[in-house]
Amino acid sequence: MWDTLNKLRYGARLLLSRGHGQAETIDLHGRPTVLRHAGQGPPFVYLHSSLGESMLWLPFFDAWARNFHVYVPTHPGFGQSGGFELIDSIDDMAFHYVELFDALGLDKVILGGVSLGGWIAAEFALRWPERVHKLWIADAPGFWIDDQPLPDLFRIIHDRAQTRALLFHEPDSSIARLVIGDDLDDERFLHAYQAMTVLARLVWERPYDPKLGPRLHRVRCPTLLVWGEHDRLVPPAYGEAYRRHIAGAELKLIPGCGHLPMFEREQEFVEIISRFAQA
Amino acid sequence: MTTTGHGQPQFFFFHLMPWPYLPANFADTHDSAWVWVPNALYDPVKGHDLYREYLQTLAYAEELGFDGICVNEHHQNAYGLMPSPNVIAGALTQRTRRVKIAVIGNALPLYHPPLRVAEEFAMLDVLSNGRLIAGMVIGGGPEFYSYNVDPTRARERFREALDLIVAAWTRPGPFPWRSKHYFYRYVNPWPRPIQQPHPPIWIPGVGSLETIDFVAQRRYAYMGIPYFTLDVFRRVFGLFREACERAGYTARPEQMGWGIPIYVAETDRQAREEFEPHLWYFVRNLLKGIGLTPPGYTSARSALAILKNQGSFLAAQKTWADIEKGGFALVGSPTTVRQQLSAYQKELGAGVILTGCQTGTLPHQLARKSMELLAREVLPHVRAAA
Repeated sequence: MWDTLNKLRYGARLLLSRGHGQAETIDLHGRPTVLRHAGQGPPFVYLHSSLGESMLWLPFFDAWARNFHVYVPTHPGFGQSGGFELIDSIDDMAFHYVELFDALGLDKVILGGVSLGGWIAAEFALRWPERVHKLWIADAPGFWIDDQPLPDLFRIIHDRAQTRALLFHEPDSSIARLVIGDDLDDERFLHAYQAMTVLARLVWERPYDPKLGPRLHRVRCPTLLVWGEHDRLVPPAYGEAYRRHIAGAELKLIPGCGHLPMFEREQEFVEIISRFAQA
Repeated sequence: MTTTGHGQPQFFFFHLMPWPYLPANFADTHDSAWVWVPNALYDPVKGHDLYREYLQTLAYAEELGFDGICVNEHHQNAYGLMPSPNVIAGALTQRTRRVKIAVIGNALPLYHPPLRVAEEFAMLDVLSNGRLIAGMVIGGGPEFYSYNVDPTRARERFREALDLIVAAWTRPGPFPWRSKHYFYRYVNPWPRPIQQPHPPIWIPGVGSLETIDFVAQRRYAYMGIPYFTLDVFRRVFGLFREACERAGYTARPEQMGWGIPIYVAETDRQAREEFEPHLWYFVRNLLKGIGLTPPGYTSARSALAILKNQGSFLAAQKTWADIEKGGFALVGSPTTVRQQLSAYQKELGAGVILTGCQTGTLPHQLARKSMELLAREVLPHVRAAA
């Protein structure tokens, strides 16, 4: 009962917000790139996780759009964004984004992302530090820590319950069941398969980058690391690794939260990022 | 001993080299016989005897008059103990004199460089005096977990590697090679194959349209992997014939291979009694986990189709009635198997029949007995009827 009500409540918020983000397809040197954006203020770019949560204008984008011009691009290979053929690695993704920012005339942005998006943001910031005003990274891989190895997501993705248990602190919550539903219609199956295909291209053979640590010193902007305290996919030790390599970076843990803070602890997550971005 | 005449179907005896010693409660205690199945369950001392027995069985197939013998490649699993089928094929070249030796196949995306396949196949062709059939395969889903090779590039790597191997066999070396994934200054394999222009190429497939079209266009042979219902084979060979017509020619029977387990005993009842428990050992234990599919291994649309067709796969069958209804195996007396095999072979139009009976736990003497009955009392009639 509560479960249904909670799902309905999220659905209603989604309905209210979804009209706000303006969707455009940008031709980036022949590669169609889907971009949603809304709001006024300093440019704020959100790089999505491998869930592909850029396909809808979600309530948390709306919250940021009150103070910023929020840009939510869809990565190559996800949804209708092309250019996957040129993608083999996280740095290829970062290069795609420097081209996109050039095309949009964005000289300097507040840049952040969750999970895969956070890793791309870090890679972008170490390559083009002058283009990043502030950087935030949430629950992102990138390192490899021997005593806390990343579990093999590809082993369990066919099992929705196991996937929920890996991604959420409370896998039985209504939001967990909404984000990782038990029944996939064809459209959602195709979307999820395509998303996992992009992730596999990027991390199958090596789910970390040994050059990330040695290069992160190039990041000089204010940096915030946000981690679900109970992230079982990319544990907080990975946030700690980012913190050690970026001068002045701060790591904030969100209690009662797994790998996807934007869904599991939305309000707290939005506020932490907003405070950091506005400071 | 009979041999196959022109226009008659060819019979190949297929061996997976399965592991028969899984514990009785394996299916309840393990989620897979692949990739992460603990290798403490393998016993190399028993493994030695098993390889000897399996090699004897394959050599016996030549004695009994089969046209060829088949081996294939799988990694880190209990289903098939040939991570290198080329090693086994090498042994077989020294134990046989007449039969074709079909390695179906080498999983090309797993080889870096794929020139290794051109070399080893050429060695086998020379060792066997031109008896090799060169199978090339993308590799099953589990292999990409075992070898940690990017599944999203598997298909393009497969096609490039295949082109490279054929070029290595047919163009005078040394020559340079450049494709998206492979760059070589010196392609120049020693030895070169005996068969000209190169050994026959067989491509195993599970029914994807992409593969069917590709094999048809190249005029190679399409080997339908067993463990699917007869309806799947009907559809696949129909599509293959259409693809050949689109490519401007009529499919030859020897371009179509039908994989079908066959077990023959004195009576129908005896055949079922002797074979059924061993088929279930295979279905319930060894097939567990074979369907593991990494993302990007097929297009999203194909992945969806595979998901929806799981019911037509052997692993999903529960009862003997399911096995019979789907035509997953031909099990019976010589008369029964003769009738079924002739009828289906004609209907499918397959010129190559890949059969086997060793599902893991089948006792050696029963395997030999079934092979003898099949070779002596079934195959001559099926050949004559064709």
